[in-house]
Amino acid sequence: MVTITINGKSVEAAEGATVLQAARSVGVEIPALCYHPAVEPYAACRLCLVEVTADNRTRVVTSCNYTVRDGLAVETDTERIHRLRRGLLELYLAQAPGSDVIRELAAQYGIVQTRFQIRGDDDEKCILCGLCERVCRELMGKGGISFAFRGTERTVTTPFAEPLTDCLGCGACAFVCPTGAVVERRSRETVELDAWGAEVPMARCSVCGQAFAPAAGIEYAANKLGIDAEELCVCAGCRRLLHSRALGKSGGHRRCPGE
Amino acid sequence: MPGTRIETLPQLAALQHDLQRARSRWTRTVLICGGTGCRAAGSAELGPVFEREIANAGLGEQVNVRYTGCHGFCERGALVVIAPERVWYQGVRLEDVSEIVSETLLHDRPVDRLLYREPMTGETKVLERDVGFYARQMRVALRYNGEVDPADIEDYLSLGGYGALAHVFEAMTPEQVIEEIKRSGLRGRGGGGFPTGRKWETCRDAQGHLKYVVCNGDEGDPGAFMDRSILEGNPHGVLEGMLIGSYAIGASQGFVYVRYEYPLALENTARAMDQAREYGLLGDNILGSGHSFDVEIVRGGGAFVCGESTALMASIEGGVGEPRSKYVHTVESGLWERPTNLNNVETWANVPVIIERGADWFASVGTESSKGTKVFSVVGKVKNTGLVEVPMGMTLHELVYDVCGGVAGDRELKAIQTGGPSGGCIPAELLHLPIDYEHLTEAGSMMGSGGMIVMDDRTCMVELARYFTSFLADESCGKCTPCREGLHQMLQVLNGITQGRGKDGDIELLEDLAELLTWGALCGLGTTAANPVLSTLRYFRPEYDAHIHEKKCPAGVCRELVTYRVDPEACTGCHLCARNCPEDAIKGEPKKPHEILTDRCVKCGICFGVCKFDAVIVE
Repeated sequence: MVTITINGKSVEAAEGATVLQAARSVGVEIPALCYHPAVEPYAACRLCLVEVTADNRTRVVTSCNYTVRDGLAVETDTERIHRLRRGLLELYLAQAPGSDVIRELAAQYGIVQTRFQIRGDDDEKCILCGLCERVCRELMGKGGISFAFRGTERTVTTPFAEPLTDCLGCGACAFVCPTGAVVERRSRETVELDAWGAEVPMARCSVCGQAFAPAAGIEYAANKLGIDAEELCVCAGCRRLLHSRALGKSGGHRRCPGE
Repeated sequence: MPGTRIETLPQLAALQHDLQRARSRWTRTVLICGGTGCRAAGSAELGPVFEREIANAGLGEQVNVRYTGCHGFCERGALVVIAPERVWYQGVRLEDVSEIVSETLLHDRPVDRLLYREPMTGETKVLERDVGFYARQMRVALRYNGEVDPADIEDYLSLGGYGALAHVFEAMTPEQVIEEIKRSGLRGRGGGGFPTGRKWETCRDAQGHLKYVVCNGDEGDPGAFMDRSILEGNPHGVLEGMLIGSYAIGASQGFVYVRYEYPLALENTARAMDQAREYGLLGDNILGSGHSFDVEIVRGGGAFVCGESTALMASIEGGVGEPRSKYVHTVESGLWERPTNLNNVETWANVPVIIERGADWFASVGTESSKGTKVFSVVGKVKNTGLVEVPMGMTLHELVYDVCGGVAGDRELKAIQTGGPSGGCIPAELLHLPIDYEHLTEAGSMMGSGGMIVMDDRTCMVELARYFTSFLADESCGKCTPCREGLHQMLQVLNGITQGRGKDGDIELLEDLAELLTWGALCGLGTTAANPVLSTLRYFRPEYDAHIHEKKCPAGVCRELVTYRVDPEACTGCHLCARNCPEDAIKGEPKKPHEILTDRCVKCGICFGVCKFDAVIVE
């Protein structure tokens, strides 16, 4: 363990932890839109900027990827940090005018209107935090989407901007999206991710016939696990029931839906 | 004797000696500049013609013709030097060759019309060392640029090339090499100015069995060509520097990252590497020292940001050239998360010279904190554009006036932009500043990699800031928000100001964005991107005010804010402007004052440019 101070208070943090993790562990809130504990830090949204002082030198760093070390003094709410965050939020308001999350966060910092020229369409919500791209590549091992172009042309897109035909339909991208720019729509037939033009058919439970998970996702998981896809094609409820029957007990799930 | 693999140090010394002797039969050498600028001026055709004429004159055995790297004085290409006297010919064309051969080579007489005349004094100069452009230069990194044929390793060897490496193997431990570099005071020439010896030491001390050295040749500043010229002109000097560094650091693999748009640098470096490998100077157990090292070339990713060290490494790894945070330094975790020592081309080129001539000698050149020399590419409104290498501590005034001949057209100097696009503008009143890392930074600019743009009184500083901001906004990778969005918004504000839509609050907006970039951006491109705006605001604030409040461009540059008219007193009615006007917007009788029809005028500025009597006025 190392000892650091956050806003003057002494805090114990695990060796190798980031300043953001240390702060959140003691309930100090630092805004961070491109951070998610499931993937590598990316340090692009810059909202998690804090001031750190070590060896009499003060620097502004991103807390999401700055590692703690003994004696580090962290300030998360200085005048300068707030000024930088307000500036960023003004830029985000111009980039993604359609995002409620941005609007609410900006309001928390007293920003109602941006002084900058609105750049994005009225319904634009994406702030290019890259979480969708990282979760698809790092966590799912799929890499179905990636960044393309640079500067303000930068965008997250599919190969050749064609509708994504080999999407797993797992919806992890939508789950981690902080601003609601990536949305998953699920029906009995399909999972749809409009951001990637993906339409993934749902598989039906081999026991009860209920649509329960995207077929491509099941196949992908079976491949990774090296088992037969059919073995996985049983919904959670039926699986529990089958298991409990095999064990001769009555499960909590009495009746398989559709049975 | 191609293909001779040198196995030991004595073999190297013997080869150097033999090559020197073989070359001593030449009484004269014709050194033709093969740099990009002179090639554009036709130097590539000169060589065969020289050879033919020399053979016809019966001098084939005594005179050697050789293409070298860039001589630096690109303004005057094609350049030809006759050694050993070093008679200096400029603007040489095919039809001049026979005269040079018959006069200079046969009869020891200079060809007067090809000699240089000093722009300030009108004096004619015969020898290179007397030409003002060269007289005050001190060539260390560029020392062999006008000397060796970069395509022939034997040229470099005959001048003692790879001797510094041999000395290091023979007489120095890696720690002693690092100590020598530290004592020399060499600092990174790519812009950051970090002490090279300390960097090497950290990399040597870093945990890890496999380490890398990298040569950064991704020079992307508009108008800068220092590194290109070094790689084109003397690639072996850079390789020797990397070899010495790899020995000191304990690295076994190197990479030379060459900008995509530098085909000649790429060709010459690749050939030099092949030759070095053939001679046993790259590979296993080099010169019997037990040290093994090899180098690979990586062609740049085609983006300015790839010159940033972490983006460059991502690019070498095969990824998109995007920077990452440098809280863990690349000397500890760089390429493939292994300790990686990256230095710029010019830094590497200095290394063999420091070993050869000693740290004390190197440290005796320059200022207290900035040692040695620095290569600059001086461009813009200056008489002698080109590549110069001067001792640190020379003043900007000396560089512009004494070395580069002063401002073109003898106009008034307004500012000098140093440090590339994210450098800053230094105004004329600070020309007395010595050129070193600290002074340039204090003045709100930076050393950068050595680009230097001279601007005269017809330069609009707001437009200049707008231009560089637009360059940087274009080159922003878009990863972090301050750079991607902030530069875009900065550009919108500057576009507004230069197009007559400036308003109250614009300056504050620029200052807020500048703070956000400086403190909040992820990499060096972003954190320095506000420099053009900040330095012009600092020194040329009234120009901004004139644009915003009076809707005037004092330099007469911003099209939306100026009108053109003819001064009837000065106009001679020569009709030149009217003949050149693409819009037929100038009317007038011959020999009588002309008039510009403002409703037709598109403000292209052609009349202003062609008028010989300064009779066109921009307001």
